[in-house]
Amino acid sequence: MNDNAVTNFHPGLDLITEFAAGSLPLAQSACVSLHINHCCHCQQTAGQLADLGANLFEAQEPVPVDDTLLHAVLARLDEEKPLEYANKKSTEKGTPAILQRLMRGDFSDLSWKNIGATLRISYLKTGDPDHEVALYHIRAGGRIPQHTHRGTEMTLVLEGGFSDANGSYHKGDFLVRQADDVHAPTALQSEDCICLAVLDAPLKFTDWKFRWMNPFLKLRTN
Amino acid sequence: MLSVKNSSDGQGGSPVDHTGKRTDEWSECLTLIAQHEDRAAFTRLFRHFAPLMKAFALSGSTLSANHADELVQEVMLKVWQKAGAFNADKAAASTWIYTIARNCRTDLYRRLQKFDTPLSAEDVSESQDSEEAFMLLHQKRSRDRIRTLIKDLPPEQAHILTKVYMAGKTHSEVAADLDLPLGTVKSRVRLALQKLEIQLER
Ligand SMILES: [Zn+2]
Repeated sequence: MNDNAVTNFHPGLDLITEFAAGSLPLAQSACVSLHINHCCHCQQTAGQLADLGANLFEAQEPVPVDDTLLHAVLARLDEEKPLEYANKKSTEKGTPAILQRLMRGDFSDLSWKNIGATLRISYLKTGDPDHEVALYHIRAGGRIPQHTHRGTEMTLVLEGGFSDANGSYHKGDFLVRQADDVHAPTALQSEDCICLAVLDAPLKFTDWKFRWMNPFLKLRTN
Repeated sequence: MLSVKNSSDGQGGSPVDHTGKRTDEWSECLTLIAQHEDRAAFTRLFRHFAPLMKAFALSGSTLSANHADELVQEVMLKVWQKAGAFNADKAAASTWIYTIARNCRTDLYRRLQKFDTPLSAEDVSESQDSEEAFMLLHQKRSRDRIRTLIKDLPPEQAHILTKVYMAGKTHSEVAADLDLPLGTVKSRVRLALQKLEIQLER
């Protein structure tokens, strides 16, 4: 499933820990899990962190459970299993399952909003009230206007790649930008770039030509 | 590339093993449930894990006792229904069960907050997909190491880990809770993970 040899940018240990402990907000978890399912290194770390969780789980002081609860569960064992438990292997090639779920279809079914000639954005509804999740499609060689962040921006490269002053990023790479990091990513010359971005506050364009857009860039959570 | 032979599909009954396969009590229970719908095995599993699940439900603070019982029921039913997907080569029984409990608790929180989402916690959780013998062995070693080393953690580090995992709080929430700077929380977690030899593998 994973062709992960080229992944060079990973989530930090803090983030994978929150992910493994289940405390990471939904939209951010989705982004981290898309990376992890693509990266055998982080998969291993996440596995160890889940094992740690299990140890802490078993070390808890048990809270007595009434026998009526056991009988209630025993009485329900004959219930029909939900269908999806039968084979939950979604190892098809192509679009990851999480994205299919969020897009309700394919890339071509999405509604895109053009921003200049080289960038278009499609917002996805995750239900997470505090995060905006969007796909960014940058044409080959195209540049995203210089912008800064008011909050945290997570980015995962889904197709193609892009570069900015700090490096160049390819499929599967995961990045976090904090408030006040200014950058102007440029897609690689060879192919279009599609990224998933998760924001907890709206972007702010610093390039004067695009500043007029700022009032329109409200955080969209659904 | 090495891959584990005849791992995922049936190995015909015998729980014995010379290839390093886990044969602890709880994975045996899960296997009995998967293969024979064994209710006695399920009951043993329930008696051990249900009280832990209840503790786990309640340490998340906001759940009422009723919701905690509801969660225990839901998780145990899932354990029964999904036992066929458990693979002792890939995961410890306790990790497999903990992961289900964690996901169900997260989903319950979101349901109670009237979150309207197409994604379940399981959809966005880690997949244990690796079949490579080297990885599985590595994982098993690290699991044994964690089990041993966790006993020697300094209390304040163990306490922070419990907050992070059992209370299910983000690092910032833990910091606010304990009235500590975020940096202190992060560095305690980091030190604890270092002692447990959990690191980024890259
Ligand atoms: Zn990684």
